[in-house]
Amino acid sequence: MKNVTDSFISLSSAEGFGLNTNILETNIINLSVVLGVLIYFGKGVLSNLLDNRKQKISSTIQSSEELCKGAANQLEQARARLREVERRVREIRVNGYSQIQQEKNDLINVASINLKQLENLKNETIHLEQERVIELVQKQISYQAVQRALGTLNSRLNSELHLRTIEHNIDLLLAMKNITD
Amino acid sequence: MDILQFPINMLNYFYEISGVEVGQHFYWQIGGFQVHAQVLITSWIVIAVLLGSATLAVRDPQIIPNGAQNFLEYVLEFVRDLARTQIGEEEYGPWVPFIGTMFLFIFVSNWAGALFPWGIIKLPHGELAAPTNDINTTVALALLTSVAYFYAGFTKRGLGYFGKYIQPTPILLPINILEDFTKPLSLSFRLFGNILADELVVAVLVSLVPIVVPIPVMFLGLFTSGIQALIFATLAAAYIGESMEGHH
Repeated sequence: MKNVTDSFISLSSAEGFGLNTNILETNIINLSVVLGVLIYFGKGVLSNLLDNRKQKISSTIQSSEELCKGAANQLEQARARLREVERRVREIRVNGYSQIQQEKNDLINVASINLKQLENLKNETIHLEQERVIELVQKQISYQAVQRALGTLNSRLNSELHLRTIEHNIDLLLAMKNITD
Repeated sequence: MDILQFPINMLNYFYEISGVEVGQHFYWQIGGFQVHAQVLITSWIVIAVLLGSATLAVRDPQIIPNGAQNFLEYVLEFVRDLARTQIGEEEYGPWVPFIGTMFLFIFVSNWAGALFPWGIIKLPHGELAAPTNDINTTVALALLTSVAYFYAGFTKRGLGYFGKYIQPTPILLPINILEDFTKPLSLSFRLFGNILADELVVAVLVSLVPIVVPIPVMFLGLFTSGIQALIFATLAAAYIGESMEGHH
């Protein structure tokens, strides 16, 4: 039995690290054939795959860059439009203010003219009324004076006085006739 | 003794022509543990390749990716799509690194094992191969997946995560508990078995007919390796998504 184990030990025992140069044992020919075929066929497939991937990535980047550029352009346009609109708003506001001011002034002017006219009218009316009243009062007073004078005349008149008055009046008339002649 | 000697010589002869080593390991003694050094060495190489390519990709990042950056971004997109379809639109984000690590490590391990002539480097014992053809690697990856989906479930739903064990009916409780053990088991054994079987078939064919005949099987092995990496990553993502979603 010792022989058996010994021979197994001698089978498996080796001398340490080293290089095996036996071409058949290391299976180099088959491995190189397999590697060659693998590289020959695999290379095309792999490079095709990777090229496609690269192209896809670059086209995606390009398209997104274009999109970005377009969006930036649009943003710029929108900003410009916003500026324009803001400018117009300011203009309109300023115009509106000035117009409102103008209208206000006009209205104030018209109103003041109207006011002045009305004032004049009022003054005139008051004046007229005053004159009318004064006239009325004068009439009344003169009427009353004539009435009182008539009363006094009636109460005091006698034939002598009557005659004297007539005499006096005739003289007056004569004198007037002489003057006219 | 003479009777015994003959079969051993025969064995020796067959051993010489086959050169297929199964269960032979190059051990390192670290602390109290014996570790499989050939697995560690190839794992380090795989990790170095992955880190190196990642560094290469992010060294000079450009808006329109080129070369390595383009390729690794494509890989990242692939992993992210995988995680999104399995985990869901809302929660897949934090799990992309985990799923990606699983997928890339397994995939690069498998393909490195299938494409690089590891036989050139001779070890004192055993031989260099894909890290995933050692059961320890696949079990470690599967257990990490288990921990990940438990963690995902607990952080998402707290203790309510245990409610999923009696989800359709409480009768299914034993089966649901059993599932937590079968998931890492099936994950690890599927990957390990596929890769080991592939490498063994290639090795046996090479020992029988060294040239040309193993080539179709090697292509098949490449295909299987890729599929297995994809399956492992998809299942890990599906388990994580399922534990966060909360129903079967």
